[in-house]
Amino acid sequence: MKLKKYLSLTRAGIIESLQFRLATVIMVIGNLLYLIVVYFLWKSIYASAETDVVNGMTFTDTLIYLVLATALFNFMEMYTVWEMGRNIQSGKIVLDLLKPMEYRRYLFWSYSGSFVTQFFFTFLPTFIVVSVVTHGAVPLGINLLFFAVSVVLAVLINYSIDFIVGTICLYTESIWGINIMKQVIVLLLSGATVPIAFFPEPLKTVVYYLPFQSIYNAPLTLLLNGSPTPETVFEILGTQLLWCIGMTLLGKLFWKLSLRQITVNGG
Amino acid sequence: MKRKGLGFYLRIYGKILAQDLKSKMSYRADFIISTIGMIFTNIAGFASFWILFRNFPSINGWNYYEILFLYGFSLISLTPVQCLLDNNWSLRSYVYLGDFIKYCFRPINLFFYYQSEVFDIKGLGQLAFGIGTLIYSWIKLGLGFTPLMLLKVIVFLITASLIMMALQNAAAATCFWIHNSFYLLDMTLKFKDYAKYPVTIFSPVFRFIFTFIMPIAFIAYYPSLVILRPDEVPLLSWLSPLFGCVFFWLSYKLWMFGAMKYSGTGS
Amino acid sequence: MPPIITIQNVTKEFKVLNRREGLKGSLKDLFSRDYKIVRAVDNISMNIEQGEIVGYLGPNGAGKSTTIKMMTGVLEPTSGEILVGGNVPYKNRTKNAQEIGVVFGQRSQLWWALPLIESFKLLKDIYQIADRDYENMLEMYRSLADIEPLLHKPVRQMSLGQRTLSDILAAFLHNPKIVFLDEPTIGLDVSMKSKIRELIHALNKEKNTTVILTTHDMGDVDALCRRIVIIDKGKMLYDNDIEHLKGFFGSYRTLKIRVDGILSERAEEVKAQLPDFSVSADEEWISVLVDEERAAVMEVLNQLQSSFDIRDMQLEEISTEDVIKKIYEEGVE
Repeated sequence: MKLKKYLSLTRAGIIESLQFRLATVIMVIGNLLYLIVVYFLWKSIYASAETDVVNGMTFTDTLIYLVLATALFNFMEMYTVWEMGRNIQSGKIVLDLLKPMEYRRYLFWSYSGSFVTQFFFTFLPTFIVVSVVTHGAVPLGINLLFFAVSVVLAVLINYSIDFIVGTICLYTESIWGINIMKQVIVLLLSGATVPIAFFPEPLKTVVYYLPFQSIYNAPLTLLLNGSPTPETVFEILGTQLLWCIGMTLLGKLFWKLSLRQITVNGG
Repeated sequence: MKRKGLGFYLRIYGKILAQDLKSKMSYRADFIISTIGMIFTNIAGFASFWILFRNFPSINGWNYYEILFLYGFSLISLTPVQCLLDNNWSLRSYVYLGDFIKYCFRPINLFFYYQSEVFDIKGLGQLAFGIGTLIYSWIKLGLGFTPLMLLKVIVFLITASLIMMALQNAAAATCFWIHNSFYLLDMTLKFKDYAKYPVTIFSPVFRFIFTFIMPIAFIAYYPSLVILRPDEVPLLSWLSPLFGCVFFWLSYKLWMFGAMKYSGTGS
Repeated sequence: MPPIITIQNVTKEFKVLNRREGLKGSLKDLFSRDYKIVRAVDNISMNIEQGEIVGYLGPNGAGKSTTIKMMTGVLEPTSGEILVGGNVPYKNRTKNAQEIGVVFGQRSQLWWALPLIESFKLLKDIYQIADRDYENMLEMYRSLADIEPLLHKPVRQMSLGQRTLSDILAAFLHNPKIVFLDEPTIGLDVSMKSKIRELIHALNKEKNTTVILTTHDMGDVDALCRRIVIIDKGKMLYDNDIEHLKGFFGSYRTLKIRVDGILSERAEEVKAQLPDFSVSADEEWISVLVDEERAAVMEVLNQLQSSFDIRDMQLEEISTEDVIKKIYEEGVE
């Protein structure tokens, strides 16, 4: 079966990440510590404000939003740009290109194992802790389903963006510079550091027309909204789907063109 | 064999640095892209900061310019760790692949030899940003200026740098025991982002943790009090230079202990 | 003069986690405390004299690198004593480092981005080499190899062979008493291999430097070493002259004959006639490994000639490679 060869990559990834057991424990503890820091910071920020609701978000909303954004970030960060950059510089890419699998798929599925471990070791604990701490402020209903679908799309969009940026490494040796620029832009414009609701109006408009908000803002908006109208769901998921298709195609094309360039000129 | 004092090490470092800069200049594109990346990071940092303060006028009794002061202070104190100890980021992979062994055969201090290999020039851009921010907030706060104040700022900046170096050293050194210690290093980097907020926002337990166990409060908060709140400087602020030296010394010992214990992978 | 290296009853043990197989096993390992002790080096002793080139051999995982790491001060032995040039290596690592040079196969210790000459200059400062000694050494290098084109080339742009050559030169630069070479010719082409061997040989002769060489290439051993030490599974199997080793296995020689017909079939017939000997065939020859203590080669040849029409023949001494292979497989009685 075709899927089988991909799933065996997933399985290998899980086993590999479990090899580092202490690292796993540290990851869980570190993540919880981080949640606490975010909690205190925003609690005192809200305490300093005159009203309970700022830009339509209460303290609880903001907390859930930011904490889960971080959890999503940990979950989605695959260090694709680093991996590609290193493989390109060391020449290992040639071996990967020889695998009977498209490179972008191979890379994705090699990492998919860590999705599974990350989900169980960071996202799920975080989610549970947040639900308990906020006394069930996270609505548990149909929104969970929308959230799940939205996260899958977000993972794909995020990966496509990473892959496009990684492809740039075929042209330059500056992996660090490329990667940091990507990370900074994605984190800020996707609403992972400050919720997009807090952005000033003109910036908000700009951000909504960019693909980045589909990564963090879209799934979290769906999650926090207990009774969304069908229109909202349709609009958010539709936008994500469009970006997903668009970015995937763009990534494929860019990779193909770049690779041709390289093979013609000799790497 | 002649004794190897401070002069010996400074001379060697100077020579390696000069050679390193020379060879970096031949990769101009990399240098430019990295610098742009650094500028991006700082602008994004300011942007989220600015967005936050548009919505909330103050945090825990600290106004915009005061927090900006902390921010600038922490940027400057991060410069030495960025410039001098950047090779710590590669430590994990050297240890994991067994390549660390190649540093063990030289008749000079191992820690020095390892760190001397990389000087990260990008850190200087950050320094410029930090100094700019500090001066701007200084003027806006109308703090006035005396030579004594300058002396205090310099002493406390060195203190803060020592703390930051200590944190990163300790986090990097864990890879001698834990294989994949990347999370720890990454976590330290993440936590240091919170150094720019006053430690008083945390509950007593976490205030203790961030003062004595993971001493990020010393990176900007305690030292800044000396300038910003000269009337209510706690004893801890005055003690922070001492703490800086102690923490750095401890982290150095830990690093060296780990390196000595290290046995290399493979047969 | 006392030996430059003394190793006495040295043992090194490691603690490793017992890992289980599969996904379930990995999950269990997360909580497991099931360690086992692995003895990488098991009670070995040897003395090495100044100026010797010693081949330190053994199959993968035999404990060679562990021994070298102990001699260079990176690892502390679990028990036993090591003295290198009068130092206890792991106690005086930096002092010991001043007296030794190390080359680890493919791991270059040179500054990646710098031209070789700049690396040399840095090493000159680090090892505090006097100007005159440094100049003399470079002069000698120039006479031994064509280093001019390498000096101004950054290490990262060098081929593997050039890099190995540079690494070896760098290891000898401070005129150490002992140089450890870990698989110096691995991955190199034939001509580069022989260049590297000549260089090692010349450097050893010029400065009377002791060289400890680990390798899997018996060409290195034949070209450089008189003495070899073999270890396997941490235990010392052999420590003596290479000539002695060959005699040690009885006087084996290989008799090769060429006959008409399909060689593999004829080889079966030869085997039937000589049941006590090991017989093999390739495209050209049928080979018979003759133990001269049991039968003279001429006897065997006569016997074969009576039943086969021999077109051509060759007689070969057993190669070091064959001997080492036999030792790895059968051990030493």
